[in-house]
Amino acid sequence: MTRIVEVPPSFDDRSFDRFAQSFSAGPLGQRMLFDARLAEFATPYGLLGLLTAGQAVQEAKGERPLFTVPSDEHVRRYWVRAGFFQHAAALFEIHGKVPKVKPDEDSDVLLEVTPIRAAEDVHGVVGRIQDRAARILKEKLRLEPKATMGFAMALSEACQNIVEHAGTSGWVGVHAYDFRKRLGRWVVVIAVSDAGVGFRHSLEAAQAKRFGDRWGDGAALEAAVIGGVSRFRDPGRGQGLAGIKRYLGRWQGKLSVRSGTARITIVPPWDEDVPLRENLPFFPGAQVQVVIPEQDVTAG
Amino acid sequence: MIHTIKLDRVLRETVATPYHDLVTRPTGAAVRTSIEQAIAEADAATTLLDFSSVGLMDFSCADEVIAKLLLRTEPGSGHYVVLQGLREDHTEAIDHVLTHHSLAVLVISPDDDGPRVLGSLPPDLQVALAMVHRLGSTDAAGLADTLLWPLERAMEALEALAFLRVVQAADGAYQPILVQ
Repeated sequence: MTRIVEVPPSFDDRSFDRFAQSFSAGPLGQRMLFDARLAEFATPYGLLGLLTAGQAVQEAKGERPLFTVPSDEHVRRYWVRAGFFQHAAALFEIHGKVPKVKPDEDSDVLLEVTPIRAAEDVHGVVGRIQDRAARILKEKLRLEPKATMGFAMALSEACQNIVEHAGTSGWVGVHAYDFRKRLGRWVVVIAVSDAGVGFRHSLEAAQAKRFGDRWGDGAALEAAVIGGVSRFRDPGRGQGLAGIKRYLGRWQGKLSVRSGTARITIVPPWDEDVPLRENLPFFPGAQVQVVIPEQDVTAG
Repeated sequence: MIHTIKLDRVLRETVATPYHDLVTRPTGAAVRTSIEQAIAEADAATTLLDFSSVGLMDFSCADEVIAKLLLRTEPGSGHYVVLQGLREDHTEAIDHVLTHHSLAVLVISPDDDGPRVLGSLPPDLQVALAMVHRLGSTDAAGLADTLLWPLERAMEALEALAFLRVVQAADGAYQPILVQ
């Protein structure tokens, strides 16, 4: 019997747990159909979540899942521009028409879905994004030019998390959005996702004893994101996430990291998220989201 | 003798990518290895690492290149590292990782009157370093006299500066690192 995995109509970090619930409701070996027909909107976090689910099935040697494309032509075109279908085709049996779309230099897709397998891929991502990011950060987010470097640094460190810790490949995507409904201003969203071992497994050997009964996905995220610990004994490790937090602190950005059944968030003043959520539906690997909002030029 | 190493050239020769950014730990480790080889071959007392024409530098790479280079150099080796050509974002990344390791390094820039320090330098050491640069050369007694410090405090500050390799020490005298 084919199991239906529902893709939320508005697929972002807030609806992700609904998707994870649907995805983890049965074994990976069971035939699945990812139903995206009702999709109206997806952030890169959502798109990468779909690819990560497909990757998890593939790596578990499960049957290739089916995927029904969004009914809405505009949504399909956006997903093509975002680079989603290019990679989804290798993971899913796609059902429905995928339009051919020419690359758009003025698009709000700063970085199409890009695979991260090794350090060279991080070089490619950082090298490609800087000019386009400089324009978007200045025009849409009203950030000063030097913010582009911090942005690229944060992106580089987030991608390296895959190379260093996942034990498998992953993806990155960067989009700019008009978050009028949710925030009333523009944001740039960096999403990084992998189907790897996750933070708990990565840190278990070095940290589990210290946490005792508290050890779990939440404690592992707390140790890594708040405590800056790493699975490596090298005392210089753990500075990547510290660097991201430093950058986000300056621009009132938001960082959230989901791994296994927990999600930790560095909550900026404009957001009402909770710092730590546990007992969430399981989802493989780790998902990082960085949100940088348009700066309020009237403040301060 | 001063030996200048251009980081953009080392990056190009070390990593086979068309990019000029110092990012990722593997890249940083490879670049540091090349720098260490160049330092060993040049056999100069001071190495000037020139960051002009380097693009982005992330925290992980700054840790691998600069922090580890300093950590792997023996305190008594008589070899000094000075940085130049840094942009604001390079400065921020390097300062962050050096502070994390309680290390320090000298930076020179045409815009500055003299060398400045990135990383961790407690207040006493900042004062002592500024005085060493003003006096040109001093010993613990000279520094204690000038700053009206107890001799022990002056001695500790100078020894700490020498340990961090931001001043040169020889036969009880301390002097600025030559950068020209």
